[in-house]
Amino acid sequence: MADAKSNESSDQLNRFDFIKQAVGRGAALTLGWMGGMSVFGAREQNTVWQIDPDKCVQCEHCATDCVVSPSAVKCVQSYPICGYCRLCFGYFLPNAPELTSAAENQLCPTGAIERLFVEDPYWEYNILEDYCIGCAKCVKACEMFGNASFYLQVRHNVCVNCNECSIAMQCPADAWERLPADKPYLLRHKEREETMEDAFNLPE
Amino acid sequence: MVTDRQLTIYAMTLLTGVAAGFLYLLFQGGKSLPITTRVTDIPAETAAGTYKPVGGVAAAPKAEVVVDLEGEFEKLEGEIGTSAGTWEGFRGADADNIAKDSVPLSDTWPPGGPTQLWSVPMGEGHAGVAVDQGCVYILDYDKEYQGDTLRCFSLDTGIEIWRRRYKAPTKNNHGVSRTVPALTKDYVVTMGPRCFVMCVRAKTGDFVWGLDLVKDYGTSVPLWYTGQCPLIDGNEAIVAPSGTTMMMGVDLATGAVNWTTTNEDQWKMSHSSIMKMEILGKQTYVYCSQNGVVGVSAEPDTKGDLLWKSSDWAQNVLSPSPIGVAPDKVFFTAGYGGGSMMMGFKEEGGKIIPEPLFKLDKTIFACEQQTPIFYQNHLFSILPKDAGAMRGQFVCMDLEGNVVWSSGKTERFGLGPYMIADDKVYILNDNGELTMARASLDGFQKLGFAEVAPGHDAWAPMAIVEGKLILRDSKMLICLDVSAGSSGGSNNLTLNQ
Repeated sequence: MADAKSNESSDQLNRFDFIKQAVGRGAALTLGWMGGMSVFGAREQNTVWQIDPDKCVQCEHCATDCVVSPSAVKCVQSYPICGYCRLCFGYFLPNAPELTSAAENQLCPTGAIERLFVEDPYWEYNILEDYCIGCAKCVKACEMFGNASFYLQVRHNVCVNCNECSIAMQCPADAWERLPADKPYLLRHKEREETMEDAFNLPE
Repeated sequence: MVTDRQLTIYAMTLLTGVAAGFLYLLFQGGKSLPITTRVTDIPAETAAGTYKPVGGVAAAPKAEVVVDLEGEFEKLEGEIGTSAGTWEGFRGADADNIAKDSVPLSDTWPPGGPTQLWSVPMGEGHAGVAVDQGCVYILDYDKEYQGDTLRCFSLDTGIEIWRRRYKAPTKNNHGVSRTVPALTKDYVVTMGPRCFVMCVRAKTGDFVWGLDLVKDYGTSVPLWYTGQCPLIDGNEAIVAPSGTTMMMGVDLATGAVNWTTTNEDQWKMSHSSIMKMEILGKQTYVYCSQNGVVGVSAEPDTKGDLLWKSSDWAQNVLSPSPIGVAPDKVFFTAGYGGGSMMMGFKEEGGKIIPEPLFKLDKTIFACEQQTPIFYQNHLFSILPKDAGAMRGQFVCMDLEGNVVWSSGKTERFGLGPYMIADDKVYILNDNGELTMARASLDGFQKLGFAEVAPGHDAWAPMAIVEGKLILRDSKMLICLDVSAGSSGGSNNLTLNQ
């Protein structure tokens, strides 16, 4: 009887061992979960919205549906792609009376494109983001008749990164996607990626 | 118990709070943008020579530079080819872009595509070739030399026979070269991107004469340089300076200007080329300037007389040339939103009167850089990118403006050239993909497809001579064997000259 009792007691956990094992396993699970989240979960969380310029159809929802006003979507200029044309179809209205920067010649409704003379026959076009409303009129014309150097991007110094982006929900081309926060732009000219990211002066 | 005095104090406090909140929202509610006055960038426009003050005079013209068009000649090791075939200039014989020679062409291509006979690097641009008696002529731009260069190659081997060039520094502006030479058995005439016209002896390249249309005739070089290809009619070169004179005929042998047509309205040069056609029984040179269309007599006794003009067809940017589709009808088309127009002609009181018959929206029929083909009483074109659902499709349209068929949404093309030979249509895409289809009124029937050029912006007009298809991308000239006897595949002969 004494041996049987002894064996029975060795197979059963006493209260102290039970608590010790439970705490140990719980701690391991917690550490595992935290480790897993730090590797995978955080990547899921630290993402931002962006527009794929190759899918964008310039529907103008970006100008009207953003919770920020004016929109956090802005036109950006890819200088290596731009043709620096005297007649820029993204800048001038079709059949503009004259190729000057007078307002009646401009396609942009807010005058958000700066036109600077470089040297004959080249002109430089810069986006003034404070004025840009993301309407994509210039993007559409540049895509159709030019080098497609104008395209839309979400500017992360303006975007509030909503959980459900109100523009993405309206986008007819499924052009919106989540990108890692440390690579937040879809740039047409890859060679310029690093310098442009610096130029964009991303918030911390 | 609340007294009236207390009630008044509460109400006043509430109103004060609301007023304060309103004022706070008014001034803190949103960052307002500064209102700035936007005016013409006067220093920039002045520097570019485009600033014209209201009521004032235009900016001073830039200093004239005299270009020695005789330039330099260099004999090279190539030999004149054996072929007797001809592609006379822009759009070939009859200027309809339909090959006339009798060599049958293959209906199918092997998986590797048609045989590449030779290829030659070019200066960046979109110039096309003219071919005669085994010689291939092209007005290239030599970036190192900084000048327009007429190069003559052997059609058989692609080896350069000679080159003649003159200094005319021109900056790359979506490429440099643009045009196709015009030739006879004896002469070759070229138009450079900055409107220098040169005539040389065929085969030998001996300089005959040259013209500077900007300096001598007040031409304004169009945006991205001129695409106007010279025309040869008999013993004259016909060009349209669209400056102090609208059009003129130049004697091929002497360079003497035989006749000029006035340009009273100062209409500007476009990228379009002069087309000769018969309108109401009169041989007529038809030219589309930026501001309107003119019809100039090509009849021997009245050559150069202005027969009619119309500002109903005016486009800021215009590349396609006019197409005569009937003795009393000319068809015009354009890209960049221009659409198309059919113009009719009638004679009243001894004068020819042009009048628009109908206009077509850009989504129905248009073309950005190429001139449509008139074939079997129908027009064929590639619609531009702003044609909505029809963008990039190859379409066939009757002369009433009804689209008969289109290539469909799976067969779209770009700004590249298309031509017809041996009842087949050849379409070159921007990125050097060549499609062969049946030239038919029944629908788009694809016969072959091949990647034939490595580069981009393959926009130059093509040429076919005795089964040899000559095309190019922005930097490479390529000759393919598309004849019925070709075995296919590439021999990769690239000549680095």
